[in-house]
Amino acid sequence: MTTAPIPHPLRVDSVRIRHEDAVAFTPDGVSFSVSPGEVLLVLGPSGSGKSTLALALNGLIPHAIPAELGGTIYVAGVDTRDTTVARVSETVGMVFQDPDSQIVTGTLLDEVAFGPENLLVPKVEVLERAERALRRVGLWDRRGENPDVLSGGGRQRLAIACALALGSPVIVLDEPTANLDPVGIEEVYAALADLVADGEHAIVLVEHNLDAALDLVDRVLVIDAEGRLVLDGPARETLTNNVDRLVELGVWLPVSTLAALRLRASGIPVEPLPLTPTELTAALDRVELPPPPHPQAGLDRLDPVITVTDLHVSRGRSDVLRGVSLEIARGDFLAIVGENGAGKTTLLQAIAGVVRPPRGAVTVDGLDPARADVRALSRAIGFVFQNPEHQFIRDTVAEELAHGLEIQHLPRHEIEERVERMLHRFGLTAHRAQHPFLLSGGQKRRLSVGTALIAGAPVLALDEPTFGQDRERAAELLDMLAQLNADGTTVIVVTHDMQLVADYSSHVAVLRDGQLLATDTTAAVLAGDLLEQAGLRHPPLARAMRALHDERWRGIAKLADLP
Amino acid sequence: MTTTINPYAERVDHGPVRFLHRLNPLATIAAPMPAIVLLILARDVATPVSLFTLALVLLLVGAHLRPRMLLLVLVVLPLLAALLSLSFGLWADASKLPQSTVLLQVGDYRFTTAAWMLGLATSTRLTAIVALSLLAGLTSTGPDLVRAMVQQLRVPYRIGYTALAAFRFVPRFGHELEVIRAAHRVRGMAGGRGPIAGVRRYLGYVVPLLAGAIRHAERVALAMDSRAFGAHARRTERYVVPFRLRDGVFILLFWAATAAAFLLIPTLELP
Repeated sequence: MTTAPIPHPLRVDSVRIRHEDAVAFTPDGVSFSVSPGEVLLVLGPSGSGKSTLALALNGLIPHAIPAELGGTIYVAGVDTRDTTVARVSETVGMVFQDPDSQIVTGTLLDEVAFGPENLLVPKVEVLERAERALRRVGLWDRRGENPDVLSGGGRQRLAIACALALGSPVIVLDEPTANLDPVGIEEVYAALADLVADGEHAIVLVEHNLDAALDLVDRVLVIDAEGRLVLDGPARETLTNNVDRLVELGVWLPVSTLAALRLRASGIPVEPLPLTPTELTAALDRVELPPPPHPQAGLDRLDPVITVTDLHVSRGRSDVLRGVSLEIARGDFLAIVGENGAGKTTLLQAIAGVVRPPRGAVTVDGLDPARADVRALSRAIGFVFQNPEHQFIRDTVAEELAHGLEIQHLPRHEIEERVERMLHRFGLTAHRAQHPFLLSGGQKRRLSVGTALIAGAPVLALDEPTFGQDRERAAELLDMLAQLNADGTTVIVVTHDMQLVADYSSHVAVLRDGQLLATDTTAAVLAGDLLEQAGLRHPPLARAMRALHDERWRGIAKLADLP
Repeated sequence: MTTTINPYAERVDHGPVRFLHRLNPLATIAAPMPAIVLLILARDVATPVSLFTLALVLLLVGAHLRPRMLLLVLVVLPLLAALLSLSFGLWADASKLPQSTVLLQVGDYRFTTAAWMLGLATSTRLTAIVALSLLAGLTSTGPDLVRAMVQQLRVPYRIGYTALAAFRFVPRFGHELEVIRAAHRVRGMAGGRGPIAGVRRYLGYVVPLLAGAIRHAERVALAMDSRAFGAHARRTERYVVPFRLRDGVFILLFWAATAAAFLLIPTLELP
């Protein structure tokens, strides 16, 4: 009777948060508590306030970010309002999305020591903690190196080590793998799995990439678009019993689950509902599969719009591209894939004339980007940079669109007419007089695509168009690209999102160390092991299908190809 | 192993002869400071040359110099001094110079010994100041300087370590600027030559660069807050950068040498 219950390390009580400039509260009235050792996944559509909630869990809201906080968050029994972020950080450690902006010192060891030093932990113990944390994530041998030389996955593991060194029993991760390539995602989840195994750390995970996360999650919280908590329960049951509801809420389900739902709808009994590729394989192996539908025959590649012949590009003393040759046919949707540093972006930039290729190496719609001026080039190919802000040069949205036509010296009325059409097409008519920098993220992206296309280019090149975006916004953009592609625009993207490759691209160019391993149809690339050779991984659906007993089904990689 | 220079690399000890690396960074800054200030006032050639020589000898003996830096202090700086002496000499106001030998005559223009000496005085002053600054610049690291400022000068660590974190921004911005320039070029912003178009072009880079910088800085600040930065008035210092007797001795000896250079070399003319 008298024994006091162990206080939850983290308890959230009717929390609602409104950012300084926002109208609505998201989240709105969310309550839950985190028990020691528990792994909690927070799901919700874009705009539901998941990331905002994460920022409140260690007191950054309201202490560092101007926002109105209603309700109470208790960390180790203390109201976060009555303490400081520094004190809270001893209980709740944070890992953010962007690996670059979490590094403050010059070596891995200093980085991990930074937190405990701030807490006035004695020197000997700082080193002990740092060693333990770095060993935990497999980075101890690299302790003397500059964090800059780590891969994205390595830097996120470092961020996890930093949270561990603070001694926090709870670690909050806000989309920790959104900026990573497939191998980096694997690394981060391997590190987290190791952490979860001993049951000492509770984890609160905000993540869209369910395919990677689900293996470790105990419990799921679902927040709806209005920021209200709608589901809270054990991960598996909550997801499988509420599939329709989740789809309706706009929550992304694992690809394996979506595939199973689609198969069920066409009469193939997939039981129980799978959440991971392994489970999907197992469920499908238990049933007699009908012959797979014939995938759509590829178009004839008779009309190359882009030809690259023995392209070499060097930067400083290093060769970024070594003898790349490829042809891209009119109407293709080509994905350029490869590890970080394989030369993907350089290839795309050389094709589009952003970096001048050697003369004669590239032809785009009959034009050599090495010789063409901006006017001619912008009529042949449009380029969209990773960060759309980089390419905005005018003061209003309408001027921004008109710019590409003004340099073509078109008559005024024609410019106005085409700008008007473009504004309408990309849903920007209401924002025509606004400064491009004041648009929302999705609008900026649409405007950058509009400016790339307005001069009438038949080819659109995009550098990592979905990098760092949540999946909803990414899907919106990809659907737009698919539409443009269906209307005849040749689309080339650099990406490391393999499910994007499977679902949208018609062809894939695989790069490794500046050399082209192959260019082929997406189906052929996904059927072979080129991706692994290039240091990449198969997307979840392809992984599930490739492991099937039934050979006829092994080539399927995209949802749309399922019956 | 990477060969890139790492500005955060831990201080390397290069032995007792390369003693400059063992000094407190504050000492290598404080010691040449009076010389640097006084050089701004010097008008002769001998004083800067003697101080340049002093800095050169200290660097050659007391600092571990990479070949590139060796080339800089031994070849580039003297060459630069020679070159600048000519161009400064050309700018000299001939009417205020004493009569002297004409070295070169082109039409009406005469380049005299006096003009060259004046140019030499200016150019040696500049190179001497550069060489003196290199004493600290080539022998201490940014983090050590910050630590010394926090430990000895009682600069609040919040300022010091924030500045240190900001060091990381520099290469990042360099890369970002490169991308922005490429982006603006393919959009057709390159139009127009000459200084005005150039300035306009650079102004166009400022907005996206600043927008990116502010966002990045906010994120870094949140990450630092989340790791208890600023929790207490002090923080644990794992690296102590001590100010020892030898630091004091170095400063005093350097000041004495400076005084000797200015007082004993008789050609000092105050303006």
